[in-house]
Parts: sequence; C-alpha cells; structure tokens
Amino acid sequence: MSDLGTALVFWPSAAIMLVTALYVFITSSMARAGLLLLAALGIEGLIFVALASEFLGFLQLLMMSGEMVIMVFFMVMFMPDPGGLMGMDMTHDKRRSAAVAAAVTVALAAVAVLTDWPARVVGDDAPDVRAIGFEVMGRSMVTFLFAAMTILFAMVGGVLLAKAGGRYGIGAPLGEARGEPGD
Amino acid sequence: MSTLTPLGVLAVALGGAGCVAVLECVVAGTRLAPATMARLASTTVRQPLRRPATYDSWLFHLAPGLLLIAAVMALATVPWAPGFRGVDFQAGVILFGGALAYVTPAVFMAGWGVGTPLGVVGGFRWLALMLAYAMPLAMVVTAVAAPAGSLRPSDIVEVQHAVPMALVQPLAFALWLPAIVAVCFLPPFDLPQADSELGGGAFAGYGGLDAAIVWLAQRVLLVAVSGMTAALFLSGWHGPLLPPAIWMAVKTVGVATLVLWAGRRLPRMEVDRTLALAWKVANPLAIVAIVIAGALTLAFYR
Repeated sequence: MSDLGTALVFWPSAAIMLVTALYVFITSSMARAGLLLLAALGIEGLIFVALASEFLGFLQLLMMSGEMVIMVFFMVMFMPDPGGLMGMDMTHDKRRSAAVAAAVTVALAAVAVLTDWPARVVGDDAPDVRAIGFEVMGRSMVTFLFAAMTILFAMVGGVLLAKAGGRYGIGAPLGEARGEPGD
Repeated sequence: MSTLTPLGVLAVALGGAGCVAVLECVVAGTRLAPATMARLASTTVRQPLRRPATYDSWLFHLAPGLLLIAAVMALATVPWAPGFRGVDFQAGVILFGGALAYVTPAVFMAGWGVGTPLGVVGGFRWLALMLAYAMPLAMVVTAVAAPAGSLRPSDIVEVQHAVPMALVQPLAFALWLPAIVAVCFLPPFDLPQADSELGGGAFAGYGGLDAAIVWLAQRVLLVAVSGMTAALFLSGWHGPLLPPAIWMAVKTVGVATLVLWAGRRLPRMEVDRTLALAWKVANPLAIVAIVIAGALTLAFYR
C-alpha cells in the first residue's frame, strides 16, 4: 500500500479505536464494555494489516475475539450489575485510580516516544511469519511463557475468589452445595 | 480480475446460500417449488423488524451484520480455482480463522441483545461451546499448514496434488469436521438457537430483514467452511478429467451435504457433554495432531 493509502487508513482507524476504547469506560453494561474493547482491539488488528504486517494483524483479530469474549464472560459472572441497568456506580477509589492511570499513561507514552524504533521498511514479500516464529521460539520465549502463566494464574485465582465461600473458605450456604456425591 | 473479485465473492455467497437452501430440502426429503421458496423469502424480508420489549438496541441490531461480515470474510479466503479467490494473503488461513472467530461475539450479541432469559442462555451456551472448539480448529489449521510450509490456502492445496490431506492426517480431519459444524451453529451443535429446547434462543427475537440476514449468514458460513474443508483436506481443485473449478464445487457440495445429512440424523449434543468432549478429548488430540503433522513434515514434505 502506498504511503498516502496507509496514512488514510491509519489515522481515521486510530481515531475510531481511541473513541471506542474511551466508551469502554463510559458504558456501564459489562457486555457492551467487553465488546467495545473487542472493537478497539479488532481495529488495531486492521491497522496492523494496513501497515503491511498481515500475519500479526490477522492473529490480533483472531486472538482478541476469543480473549475479549472470555472477558465478557468473566465480567458478567463477577459484576453485581452486568447489564448496567440498576445505575450502580462501578468506580472506586477515584483519586488514587486517576493518579495510577495518569502515571501509566505518561510512562507508556514516554516508552513510545523515546524508543529508537527501527526505520527499516520491510518489503511486501518479506517472510514475516517465519521471522516471528523464530523470535517467539527464541529470544522472546521466556517473556511469552511468563505472560501466559500470569494470565492463567489470574483466571484460576479469580474463579477461586468468586466461588461460594470466597477467599475465606467459608462453606457454601445450605442448599447451594452443588454436584452429586462422587461428582 | 482484480476489480471483479469482490463481485465474484458476493456471487459465490448469494449463489452458494441458495444452493445450500436447495440442498437442505434435498437432504430433508421435502419438495419445495421455486415459487414457494421465493414467496417465503419475500415475506421474510418484507416483514417489519421486530423489537423485543427490553433489549440492548446496539448489540441486537449489530449482531446480524457482524455475523454476515464474518461469513463473507471467511468465504473470501477460500481458494476456489487456481487464481480465483477473494483475497490472497500470505497468512490466508489465519484470516479464515480470524473471520470465523467473529461469529462468536456476533451470536453472543444476538443472545444478550434480545434480553430474554432463553436468549441470554443461548448466547452463553454458545460462548462456552465456541471457546472450547476454537482451539482445536486453530490447532488443526496449524497441522495442515505445516506440510505445505505456508499459511497461504492455495499453497496448501498445491501440496496435496498427490495425496489429499484427509488421508495423510485423518486425526486432524476428524477433529476439524465437528468443529466446522459447531462454527455454523448447525445441528447437532445448534446450541444457541436449539429450537426444541430454547425455542429459537439467541435468534428468537429477530424478524424481518434481521432474521433474513441471520439465515443468509448461516448458509454463507456453511459454504465457506465446506469450501475450506475441500481446499485444506480434500486436495481442493486437483482431480482427473474435470476442470479445477468443477472439482472444487463437487467437493464443496459433498462436504455441505455430509454436514446437513449428519445434522438431520444425530441428536443435539448436551452442553456439558459437548464441553467435556471438547476440553478433555478434542484439545489434547489436537496437540497430538500437531505433533503428527510435524513428524510427517520432517519425513515426507521437505
């Protein structure tokens, strides 16, 4: 794609992505929030494709669909008001959250601006799939494994905290104990 | 070719959906005159849009469109003949998987959007089912791509010029077939709508054009996955005597017929049993299939 074409796709897509990402925090319906986040990350995948990194773009589209759907699943399970119909305020500890959010934004922006990004332009026929395979199976393997284990522990931990009795290990109330003996 | 390609894909989508409708009548053994079918189609489309009592308007009305976009995108990656496909990407089969992955949020949006208890149950059943089946599907794609050394669908067709992949990797093929039926939410995996137990489930709230789009998208999905099965496992357009496109059409119709026939003869799977089967049997077997594919690639395809 030509530079102008890429720019014409990139900037509007980036703008739409930011707006959808903002609406994730405005809506109080958990289903809408998760699917809006999916929209934002899906558009990010399309931006990858526009920037000629088709493999990463398609992979982003593929993975984010599954992951955001899992997130919707978890949010609807855990939230007392998943539809956002009862007008519950879902924000807590506003001042400190705002401070943390601002600090993280500044840090990420600094990384994005200060990193010495490679300026090499890769041709259309570059075997990017192969290069990514060697990267993932080599240098980056520990990083990926660490991230994967962290996510897995977070999910298992979340379910453990949410199950009847919760983290205090209180037995389930009578009548809520489920499963047949030996199940 | 290049400017006509989108039109070609649309023609395959619409014509294919019509063929699937005819095929459904043939498999079911019912006779429907073309005039009757045309009347049914026109009454469906002209019916006013139904609005449920309480519903999430955005999700409810976006779901059929997203479903159709996902189906057409998946269809566009299928290589129909040498040189004829909608889009030709180096990572085409990943795009196929990526397009199918958007069927999951679309059906969930329909179920959640309609807001009835049975609709939400249908949507959540579907989420659980697809999370369990998306993984074997993606892993089987890897197993098929390994011998070709490429993720481009036409390269995978070319590597099968001698032996179809279904014979080389029967395990991968056996895992793939139920997964594609599940992706199309066709029986025996029609858990989100399940007419006899949820009464339409996730799609019960739709009427008029919305319902027509859902109907169309489901048929286009069947055409897409049948075509991809023919390309990835049944050596695509390779075959004696007949021209390539005819071979591809014959194999696609064969797979679609098998899927519809099986759907009429098998009882609907129970949700918990399906999930247990997917997580405890299909997923480990898919990993085994990848290992087998690696060994085969090292032994025969280098």
